[in-house]
Amino acid sequence: MRSRYLFPYRSRFLGFLLILAHIVIMYIWRRGFHVDADRELHGISDGMALFSRGHLFFIATSLLVLAGLFLIAFSKEKVEDEQIAQLRLDSLRWAIYFYYLTLVLSIVFTSGIDYVDILRINTWVPLLFFIVRFRWVIFRLNRSLV
Amino acid sequence: MKNTIRIERAIKDITQADLAERVGVSRQTINSIETNRYIPSSVLALKIARVFNKPVEEIFILEEGD
Repeated sequence: MRSRYLFPYRSRFLGFLLILAHIVIMYIWRRGFHVDADRELHGISDGMALFSRGHLFFIATSLLVLAGLFLIAFSKEKVEDEQIAQLRLDSLRWAIYFYYLTLVLSIVFTSGIDYVDILRINTWVPLLFFIVRFRWVIFRLNRSLV
Repeated sequence: MKNTIRIERAIKDITQADLAERVGVSRQTINSIETNRYIPSSVLALKIARVFNKPVEEIFILEEGD
């Protein structure tokens, strides 16, 4: 069975590189600008005006993480067959379940400025859930061979 | 649904890896089918049957409750 709309196998490693780059950049940024930068990133200060320095930085790093997670989540396996396709679909369903569970919990238990954090977290939570669950079933599948 | 792939493989003396390569899936998938953890699509079932030169019904058998 052909799986369309997936990235080539090797793009997974590019994804890891992007995530790594994001971590390094965030580390340097936080060390260099400390609390002000953090406030800027959370949109508390004036620095979060549209296309301001803080906003541009937020866009760049968010896109970096999202692109990285996308490549990791949706790159082909070495042998991308129909069982993998089924596991992929199954993991996606679980990811959506967990995602909405966390979303509902965060809506119930947060208020005010925390909403910005919810947005920030929810940009990568579904993808992360999907990746964790998908890698876990692949791991179990490989272990069943031994 | 149960299947006789393991027996057919023994008769033809081919490994899971050989069969996997001939039908274009991973060895894990063949293993999952043999241990009844995965139901193959009709395309894959037909391909497997063709490798053994037998009709599909002789290799894949419906069970009670299917």
